Amino acid sequence: MVTEVQLFTEGGQTWEALAPEITLLLGVVMMLIIPNLGDAKWRIPMTQIRLPVLFGGKRFRATSDPQLPAMLAVATLLTALWQAVMSQSGEGQTWYLTSGSGAEANLMLRVDAFSRLMESVFYIALLLISVAMIDRMPAKRGKSLQMKQMINNRRQADFYILLLMSAIGMSIVTMAMDLFMFFVGLEIASLAIFVLVAFQKETPEGAEGGAKYFIVGAISSAVGLYGLSLLYIWNGNLQLLSNSVTGQIGLVEAWGAMDGVGALPLLGLCFVLVGFAFKVSAVPFHFAAPDAYSGASAPIGGLLATVSKAMGFIGLIRVLAMIASPEAESSAVWMMGLGIISLVTMTWGNLAALGSDNPKRMLAYSSVAHAGYMLAGLTAYGAWIGEGNEATTGAGEWILAAILFHLAVLVAFKLGAFLVLALVELDGPITSSKDLAGLAKRDPIIATAMFIFMLSLAGVPPLAGFMSKFLLIGGIVKMSLVDAASGVAMSDLHWTFWLALAVFLNSAISIFYYLRIGVVMFFDAPPNDRRKPLAHAWYIRFTIWACLTGTLLIGLNADFLIEYCQTAAATI
Amino acid sequence: MMSAIDYALLIPILPIVAFPVILFIGQMFNGMPSWRNAWKEGGTIAVVVLGVVLGLSLSLISGYIGAVSGWDASNASGEVSAHSATEANDDAVSANVGEYDSWINFHITDGDNLISESFGFGIYLDHASVMLLFVASFLCLMIGIFSLGYMNTDEINLDRNHRFYAEFLLFSAGMFGMVLADDFLWLFIFWEIMGLCSYLLIGFYYDKPSAAYAAKKAFLTTRVGDVFLFIGLLMMWNLFNSLEFATVWSDAAIAQVVADGNQGQLHLALGMMFIGAVGKSAQFPLHVWLPDAMEGPTPVSALIHAATMVNAGLYLVVRMIPFFANDQLAGDLSTLALTIAWIGGFTAVFAALIAFVQKDIKKVLAYSTMSQLAYIFTGLGAAAWLLNNGHTTAGLFAFGASLFHLFNHAMAKGMLFMASGSVIHEMHHAHHKINHSHGDHDDGHHEEDHFDAQDMTNMGGLAGKMPITATAMAVGSMSIIGIPLIGGFWSKEGIIASTWKAALTDGGFLLIGPALLLLIGAGMTGFYMSRMWFMTFAGKAKTPVADEVVEETPFIPIPLVILTFMTLGAIILASMHFIGWASEGFGHFSLDIVSGLVHELKHAFLPGGDDSVSSILFLVTMLTIFLSMILGPFTAMALYGGRLDAYKAKPWLQWLINLSHKVNRRSHFDNTAWAESSLAEALDKRLYIDDFYDNICEKWIVVPFANICAWFDRRVIDGAVKGIEYGSQETSTYIRSLTTGSARDYIMMAVLGIFAIFLLIWGVA
Repeated sequence: MVTEVQLFTEGGQTWEALAPEITLLLGVVMMLIIPNLGDAKWRIPMTQIRLPVLFGGKRFRATSDPQLPAMLAVATLLTALWQAVMSQSGEGQTWYLTSGSGAEANLMLRVDAFSRLMESVFYIALLLISVAMIDRMPAKRGKSLQMKQMINNRRQADFYILLLMSAIGMSIVTMAMDLFMFFVGLEIASLAIFVLVAFQKETPEGAEGGAKYFIVGAISSAVGLYGLSLLYIWNGNLQLLSNSVTGQIGLVEAWGAMDGVGALPLLGLCFVLVGFAFKVSAVPFHFAAPDAYSGASAPIGGLLATVSKAMGFIGLIRVLAMIASPEAESSAVWMMGLGIISLVTMTWGNLAALGSDNPKRMLAYSSVAHAGYMLAGLTAYGAWIGEGNEATTGAGEWILAAILFHLAVLVAFKLGAFLVLALVELDGPITSSKDLAGLAKRDPIIATAMFIFMLSLAGVPPLAGFMSKFLLIGGIVKMSLVDAASGVAMSDLHWTFWLALAVFLNSAISIFYYLRIGVVMFFDAPPNDRRKPLAHAWYIRFTIWACLTGTLLIGLNADFLIEYCQTAAATI
Repeated sequence: MMSAIDYALLIPILPIVAFPVILFIGQMFNGMPSWRNAWKEGGTIAVVVLGVVLGLSLSLISGYIGAVSGWDASNASGEVSAHSATEANDDAVSANVGEYDSWINFHITDGDNLISESFGFGIYLDHASVMLLFVASFLCLMIGIFSLGYMNTDEINLDRNHRFYAEFLLFSAGMFGMVLADDFLWLFIFWEIMGLCSYLLIGFYYDKPSAAYAAKKAFLTTRVGDVFLFIGLLMMWNLFNSLEFATVWSDAAIAQVVADGNQGQLHLALGMMFIGAVGKSAQFPLHVWLPDAMEGPTPVSALIHAATMVNAGLYLVVRMIPFFANDQLAGDLSTLALTIAWIGGFTAVFAALIAFVQKDIKKVLAYSTMSQLAYIFTGLGAAAWLLNNGHTTAGLFAFGASLFHLFNHAMAKGMLFMASGSVIHEMHHAHHKINHSHGDHDDGHHEEDHFDAQDMTNMGGLAGKMPITATAMAVGSMSIIGIPLIGGFWSKEGIIASTWKAALTDGGFLLIGPALLLLIGAGMTGFYMSRMWFMTFAGKAKTPVADEVVEETPFIPIPLVILTFMTLGAIILASMHFIGWASEGFGHFSLDIVSGLVHELKHAFLPGGDDSVSSILFLVTMLTIFLSMILGPFTAMALYGGRLDAYKAKPWLQWLINLSHKVNRRSHFDNTAWAESSLAEALDKRLYIDDFYDNICEKWIVVPFANICAWFDRRVIDGAVKGIEYGSQETSTYIRSLTTGSARDYIMMAVLGIFAIFLLIWGVA
């Protein structure tokens, strides 16, 4: 069912369509207000009458609870998640949200299966991170607290506000139908994430990683914005779809109608591509990523590796697959470039991970490699559109669904791996694989969970990671058989086939460093300062179990998620 | 509504899940008193899981039988649909339990095209798989209960039983999965799980060199067969582009093969698969692993020989039968059918011969297993030949008789192994007790090393001391021998008579060899099984240890009693036309027992109705009965019979003891000359076949080839891997050195990246 809504003028519909975002916003506002409620009174001038204003003064016991922000954040995210899921249960609703009406209407947002899927993924990831952070950055009550603890208590609200802000930004990214809107969402999320990365500013690594990430990120944002401005100059607006009411030509149609490729849109495309390439940490824009991953606390590293990356991919899908989709041969300009980037990215990521001893850096590089796999998928999708859709019907949707599926299941095992690191981190920062040594002796269940996450990252059946790789490679191969109607001769294969092969070979290399973690955990003796059992930290453990369950269940029965991803892919 | 088949997947999954759980918990709680006592080091979990599995199997089976016989109207059109074991029905696909257990599904409907990829586990039920499922799940539970007594009361197993129970469960899961699979590929996967577990379990006492050797031998020998099986499967994939039963058995698929003139390739593929079955079911010439497999604990022997592993090979042949039965291939597959029958016939006599001289009680049973499986192979071969040559009724009868013998043999052999385990266990305890009571002799342990608790020459006269075990052993032996009306009689007569029937049919003269061999084998079975029983249970105690034996270990008698009644109860199954039912040739179960009994007796003698050869068949049957019931056992009695000394046997055993005593006194003859002859020595050395493998093959063929392989592996494969690894590490170091840690450099690289992208895209445009 499709509904067109004019933003904010048609109140009821707007609230319905944007319910999760509004919940998040309310959450942020509440987090600003509630912890500050106190017994402050205002004396009416000239009298002795004091009216309670409830804001400021000595805070109430309930509102001064340092754990309150965490609880508020969890409740907010849960509500938002529930709203996002419910609005798509049954027959999915689609809303087109426009600013203004009539001749001034601009299509700003579209709420559909795709955005709801990605929103749900984001919320789930952030929910897990919030829950884990309750233990990772514990809030303690009491009179005699250490300095560190008091600092932690002070900044509880800051952390969760930033987290919720990033959630709002991500939601906007999933829905944006206007690249400007998209950029705003991206920056809301990015700015929050920049701060989150540098949240451990008192540690040198945290400050350094955060600063580097911010510098490189800011530059790539600027480049991306410049690209957007070029596109704006070229087309006159930044909407994706044409608007029949106003007669504005959207970017999609404008690109399709282009005769040859103009310099302006091409430059714009290049620069926008750079902006997103940083977000997905594609080579050579990935350099800051390992520093950021290892400098930030582990859950935030997980955030970077999962949702932040997914956000970048949404951008790439929008710009490359939607706007610059190669309807004509000449408009497929980005394909070869992207193919090469993907090849370099996955190889670089894997090779660098091979030699990284720090598990967090290893995971960062593995995340680079995964970005390469998905870029390969995106390339094949472009090629599929370019080759005409007749020969291999459905292969394109397949690939796109595979990418979405991968983005979704990453939350299960990549975030899970980071959460395990978060648990280990409670005993002291992780700087080398020695810190994981003997984990199996210290805590067999957690070690097994970590091992399963590693296997899933490597793509071992029957885990979720296998399914995503299987779908991706299967889709690309299917696509590459486009000219091979009968029999398969090597010369008939589309060149994307070699990308599939590269993904395959790279996966083989990656098994080495994933399994090494297993070897270290199960066969090495724990270092002297890490011999005790792991901290109890039930919140983190709970999130690890949740991730483990997801990894196993989705691996065993992925049908529902695949179907949902297909539905979502079809709406792009 | 969920029906039984919705839970069917749990049958293999439950034990698979319990496998790591037991290992894991075992590692954590090893040595704790409650883990040892209440949890039986994982035994309790294993038995509960197997109990649940048996329950699920029974509900599945009853649903299936209900659907087939139309007893259960609600199920008749439901998911459980009937399948003939010998041909693929059109609705066979419905046995694939829908999509929910299909693991990978990816469908895109786009216009008229459906892109669909799926790779899943389906369940295929027919009479054969249902029967085997029951055998496997029932016996696994029995053996599980037995193990509680056998394994947990032996100090040598202390603190490592969790390994046993975990591997035991995985083993049984392999069998359940294999039986339920709807696809040769899954069948093969579970087949290999069993191969792995047999290695682990035979080598359970891996610190004992002989056990480690036996495990290796079992694994490698079956591996030889597996390689051929895999080649066969690949060939079959090449022919059909599928390995699903429903697809490859379908008339259309076979018609395609025939149209392409590929019958020869199919024949070869089936032959390759048959070699796999030969390895798994320990038939000549890949039988060498089976006797050595006795190195594992006795429950493992029972598991391998009765419930699971050796049946797998038979099951594979059963799954090949539909090809033989297909009209379009009539006559094309005769050679393979004959080969199956000949290998069976030869192994039947060959194994029985070796069993004549074995002194180890478990070894006798091991060779008896080989021999009895050979009967089933011969029966299946005869069935395959008959079906392939258009003699459908007789073929189906032979097929049903083989399946029935599989059932009877599994029940009896499971019981026999557990009974032998009981004997060994109690002998061992008695020996221990004697040593202990002799005081603190320092050389007590020294003495223990020389005592062999499995040697029958150390036993004798145990019938009075171990009544339950002795009864179980007697009933089991009778079933294996084929004493009329007891268990194996029905099926064995059926197999022998149908093999003769096939041999006497036009064109079947080549089967006369197996038919004769089976006849001879029947008499030999009578001898060696009786010999084992009388040596163990009759006569006087041959050592002081045997005098001290008491039947006291808990849990062990439970499965023995249950299985004794199962074996005796086979007569009821027989009278319900089990043979006809199993082959789905003669309709359904009949509840009219008396007339059924008469009918089956007649059919056991005269398979496929009365015709010109019926008088010969009748003669053959009578001869079989004479050989197996009179000649064999009485010879054994004459040699080994005798009265007990102190204890009195239970009345139902006493007559047997007395009879043997009488026979022994009257016609005892001296067989020393035989026992010391070179033939006996050759038999004792297993006809030198193991030596041949060890010396000739290993030295001249295997070792040089292994050296080449090792060289290739070390230099080429490892070399390549190491080279890649080294190269990767080098590259890794290099490219990581590009990550300088300076934000300035990062930005420079990013700018370079921007230029690169720009050039790439601009270049293309």
